[in-house]
Amino acid sequence: MLEADAEVDRRDFSVRVALSVAPGERLALFGPSGAGKTTILEMIAGLVRPRRARIMLAGRVLTSTGNPGAAVPPWQRRVGLLRQDPGLFPHLSVRANLLYGRPAGDQAAAAELDELTGVLGIGELLAAMPARLSGGQAHRVALGRLLLSHCDALLLDEPYTGLDASLRRTLTDLVVSLVTERAVPSILVAHELAEAQAFADQLAVLDHGQILQIGAPNEVVLSPSTRRVAELVGYAAFVPVRSARASTAEPTATPGAAGLVAGIHPDRVIGGRHPDRGLVLDGVVTSCRPAGALWEISVMTGEVGVTARLPEAAPAGQKLQITATDPPRFGPDGPAVPGRPAQSALAAARPQATSGRGTEARR
Amino acid sequence: MGASWTTVTPPAPVRDEPGGAAVPRGLRYANRSLAVAGTGIIWVALLGPVIALMTHLSWSSITSSLGAPGAFDPLILSVESGAVTLGVLVLLGTPLAWALARGTLPFPRVWEAGVLAALLLPPLVIGLLLVFMVGPFTPIGHLLSGLHLSATDTFLALVIAQVYESAPYYILGAQAAFSGVDPRLEQQAALLGDPPSRVFRRVTVPLAAPGLAMALAIAWARAMGAFGAVVIIAYHPTALPLQIWTTLQETGLPSALPFALVLLVVALPLPLAAYIWSARARSRRRG
Repeated sequence: MLEADAEVDRRDFSVRVALSVAPGERLALFGPSGAGKTTILEMIAGLVRPRRARIMLAGRVLTSTGNPGAAVPPWQRRVGLLRQDPGLFPHLSVRANLLYGRPAGDQAAAAELDELTGVLGIGELLAAMPARLSGGQAHRVALGRLLLSHCDALLLDEPYTGLDASLRRTLTDLVVSLVTERAVPSILVAHELAEAQAFADQLAVLDHGQILQIGAPNEVVLSPSTRRVAELVGYAAFVPVRSARASTAEPTATPGAAGLVAGIHPDRVIGGRHPDRGLVLDGVVTSCRPAGALWEISVMTGEVGVTARLPEAAPAGQKLQITATDPPRFGPDGPAVPGRPAQSALAAARPQATSGRGTEARR
Repeated sequence: MGASWTTVTPPAPVRDEPGGAAVPRGLRYANRSLAVAGTGIIWVALLGPVIALMTHLSWSSITSSLGAPGAFDPLILSVESGAVTLGVLVLLGTPLAWALARGTLPFPRVWEAGVLAALLLPPLVIGLLLVFMVGPFTPIGHLLSGLHLSATDTFLALVIAQVYESAPYYILGAQAAFSGVDPRLEQQAALLGDPPSRVFRRVTVPLAAPGLAMALAIAWARAMGAFGAVVIIAYHPTALPLQIWTTLQETGLPSALPFALVLLVVALPLPLAAYIWSARARSRRRG
């Protein structure tokens, strides 16, 4: 179990974190650039000194600013950190890199090396120098090196940025299976939601040094606890509504009578009028452009512009009726308001959260 | 109605020119010729003294100068003092260079200024100032005499003078070599279980080794050729550069040239070997 309750000062704000990750559990820290995600990993790894902290891993106290204090140095923490740059030692062969964390003469290392290189698909590269490896191969070697060092926790700091999408998917699947098999708590830092969702069974949304919400990835995305969380997970527009159960929007950009707004996610909009499934919006198309296999259509509804990704194109100037399925509502101060249409099809199809933990971040 | 397919001649490839505009071929040729000519002139000018040495040496002058009894004593003394100097530089200069590269010292600019001062002061001035620092009537001189040592006209004085003349070259070169090592690799090694001393031995030094070797080789060449400070505080025992100077004064240029050749032969192999080794080490890393 990895537990961290800590506070570290940065130049412009303090990063506060309270999280726990069970063996084999995968937590993704998701947030905008500069939110403090990397600082949290570096603090757990012992590379950044916190102002106040209690960090525990597998029953050992790694950092404690209380009494008695403790500050285990990085080389005794048994924490593996994989960054965007794989950090292979350029003067050592792939084999020497993989065995770097093992003591010389370790008899078990050779057998373990054979097994792991087979799983990672790097068995043919053992004699190569790191400069000869492709980006994907270098990341596999770096991952293998961490696993061979028998670390008690795995920290991944946007490790696949810059790699192509299919390779990212393959590597993510590989990490997920290895972390699960070895029952190692792991934390991924990501600034792309899809990457965080593909990896994690717990998603923490971080902004300005604060964890705003922790929960199962789908739970966080479908039920953001605040308007800010909604913005960060992709809700691109907020339209005023009359009430928490309203199925039509107010015609102006100002919050509705109760100060309520509904969050509209471009991927959670369907064409046509379906009041039983969510919030119906009438508007005029202002632009339409291809987005993958769909069309990204901008619609002006009242004074609020809404973006929707739909399977059919619509020319600019055309009147369009769309339905935002099961949109979360937010009060005037930003927190989510309960009372959405409870029987919408999407809500019924929503997968169950993998953790029983609440969605509000522990403060 | 089926589509009809026709072959199309692909357009000639367009070469991207730096700056976007095409440069006339004649101008390109003239530019390249000028660059080669300029480089050649500088190369010949730099090697000119060595070429002059080779063309003015005669076999008879070599045998008469180097055949005299004790002719190789200055060479042996220079090699011994140079080796001790390198040892001092490695022991004391390497930690300073590492600390400067990693910015771990308080007031780093002050430390850098101290190293640069030794580089910028003329060697002759360094020699004069060393008399005031380690001469027989100074506190350090008194301390040394208490240990039956002296820092004037001794082997120790020669080493001190060589250290002052060569240390900045080694420290600044080593600092650059350590700066080239990505600190994240050192962090990674630490996270894989290595304490700082082992990280230094397994990662920092091997990665900085090509630059360290070059810095050491340059320091060696400077130590072997040290003259300005040596002539002030270590006139005796006579090292090789002083032997060249006294021979020139006493018997003229033809007799001094063989000693100059010996100095070159002794001072150059280490830098050349270091250069070749560094190039090979970098090539090995590229796989």
